[in-house]
Amino acid sequence: MTYMTDLVSSRELLANLTAREVKGKYRRTVFGQLWSLINPLATMLIYTIVYSFIFKARLEVGDPSGLHFYPLWLMCGLLPWIFFRSVLNAGMSSIVANGSLIKKVYFPRMNLPLATVGAHGFTWMIEMAFLVVVLACFGSFIWPWIPVVAFFMVMLAAFATGLALMLAIVNVHFRDMQHLIGIALQMWMYLTPIIYPLTLVQNAADKANKPWILHLYKLNPMERFSTVFRNLMYDNRWPHWSDSLACILLAAVSLALGYFVFSRNEKKLAELL
Amino acid sequence: MSNVAVSVDHVSKSFRMYSERNDSLKSTVMRRKKSVHEDFWALKDISFEVPQGKTFGLIGRNGSGKSTLLKCLAKILWPESGSITANGKQASLLEVGSGFHPELTGRENVFLNGSILGMTRKEVTRKFDEIVSFSGVGHFIDQPVKNYSSGMYVRLGFSVAIAVTPDILVVDEVLSVGDATFQKRCRTKFAEMKGEGRTVILVSHSMNTVKEMCDEVAWLDSGELQTIGPAQEVIDAYQLTV
Ligand SMILES: Nc1ncnc2c1ncn2[C@@H]1O[C@H](COP(=O)(O)OP(=O)(O)O)[C@@H](O)[C@H]1O
Ligand SMILES: [Mg+2]
Repeated sequence: MTYMTDLVSSRELLANLTAREVKGKYRRTVFGQLWSLINPLATMLIYTIVYSFIFKARLEVGDPSGLHFYPLWLMCGLLPWIFFRSVLNAGMSSIVANGSLIKKVYFPRMNLPLATVGAHGFTWMIEMAFLVVVLACFGSFIWPWIPVVAFFMVMLAAFATGLALMLAIVNVHFRDMQHLIGIALQMWMYLTPIIYPLTLVQNAADKANKPWILHLYKLNPMERFSTVFRNLMYDNRWPHWSDSLACILLAAVSLALGYFVFSRNEKKLAELL
Repeated sequence: MSNVAVSVDHVSKSFRMYSERNDSLKSTVMRRKKSVHEDFWALKDISFEVPQGKTFGLIGRNGSGKSTLLKCLAKILWPESGSITANGKQASLLEVGSGFHPELTGRENVFLNGSILGMTRKEVTRKFDEIVSFSGVGHFIDQPVKNYSSGMYVRLGFSVAIAVTPDILVVDEVLSVGDATFQKRCRTKFAEMKGEGRTVILVSHSMNTVKEMCDEVAWLDSGELQTIGPAQEVIDAYQLTV
C-alpha cells in the first residue's frame, strides 16, 4: 500500500495538474470556458433535429415528472456519455502525451490520467448544473434528487477512471489503440440508449419474439448508467435496485482493476515512452 | 560526517534494444511475429556510496550511463537488479523547465512545477518572491511562458528546482545551459547548499567545474564503474584516456 500513500501525499500535484488541464484547454479561445457548454448544445441540436424532425419518433414521457421534451430527455443521457467518452479518450492518451514529463521527473504517474478525470469532471459538473436548472424550469422536481445524482456521477467517474487507467497502459504498448478506441466508442454510443430510448429495443425484441436480444443489449454497462441518470433526472424516481447495484459494482470492479493494472506497470513507463 | 546520503548497491540496468518492435496493434496483427530485441546493459553492477554533505561528481564519455544512473537515483528508471537507498528528501533536476505548460503564465507554472517537484502550495507561496528574484524574469512572471526566451525558461525552471531545498540534489548537465551569469549563480547556490550540509550529485562535461565543485568523483565507462575517489585523482586518470 506504499503506492497509495505516495499517491495520497501528491494530492496537491493532482489539483495543480487538473487546473492545468482546465486552464490550458480554453485559455486561448475567445469564449474560454463557454466553449465547453457550446459543444454539448450543438450536439443536442443535431440529435434533436435528426430524432424528432427526421425520424419523427415517439417522445418519452417522464414518469412521474410528466416531462415531455426530447432535448431534455436526450441531455440526461448524453452529458454522462460525453463525460465518459472524454475521460476514456483523454485518460488513455495522458501517459503518452506527457512522455517528456515522465522521462524527466518522478511523481506518481497515476496523477496524469486522474487529472484528466478531474478536468473533464469539472466540465461535466458545470454542464449538469445547467441541466438541473433547465430541468427545474421545465417542471422537473429535481432538487431532492441532486445528492443521488451526485452519487451516481461519482460512480460513473470511478467506472470511467478504471477503464482509462487500463487503457493508458495499453496505449503505451500499442500507440494506435487510441484510434481504435475512438471508433469503438462511436459504435458503443449507438449500442447504448443515449439518443433513442430503451423501449425501442424492447419493442423490437418483443416483436421478433427474441427476448434474448434485450438481455444481451442490457449487458452494456453504459445502458445501466444512462437508465439510472434518466430515472433520476428526467423521471424523478428511484432507479431499479438492480440498475443501481450494477452501477456500484461496475464502478468498484473497474476502479480496483484499473488501479491494480496501472500501479503494476507504472515503473516501466519511463523507458517505454 | 560518516553518514551516507545515497548508497548504490550492485545496480544493473538494461534497456531493450528493439531491432523489430511492435509498438502498434497494426504491426502486431500484420506481422504475426513477436518483437525482436536484445538487452543492452547501460549500467553493470555499480556500487558506491555518497557521503552526506559532499558534492559528488559523475564523469565519463557520452553514452557511458551517467544520465541513466541519475535517472535510477531519481526513481524515473528502475534497475533490473540491485538497490538504491537515499537518506533524506531528494530532488532531481534532469532537465530544466520540463513540466512547464506553454499557455500558462510563469506564476502558474511556478506553482505547477513546484508541486511536481513535491512542494506544497504554502511552501511555494512562501518562497515565491525568492524564486522570481533568483530567476530574474521580473515582470514577465505574469506572461505565458511561451513568450519567454529560452534563457528565461531555463532560469525560472532552475529557480523552482533549487527552492525545493532537498537534502540530496541530483543534477544532470544543467550547468552547461544558460549564460555565464546564470552559471555563476548556480555555482554560488551549490556552494551554499554544501555549506548547509546538503548533498549534491552532479554530472558535468566541464572538468573545471567538476574540479572546482566536487569533493569526490566517480568515473563511469560503458556502464561500468572505472574509478572512484578524490576529484583530482579521478579527473587526472580520466583525462589520460581522452
Ligand atoms: N530509454 C533508453 N532506451 C534504450 N537505450 C537507452 C535509453 N536511455 C539510454 N540508453 C542508452 O544507454 C546508454 C547510456 O546513456 P546515458 O546514460 O544517457 O549516457 P550519458 O548520460 O553518460 O551520456 C547509451 O548507450 C544510450 O543509448
Ligand atoms: Mg547524459
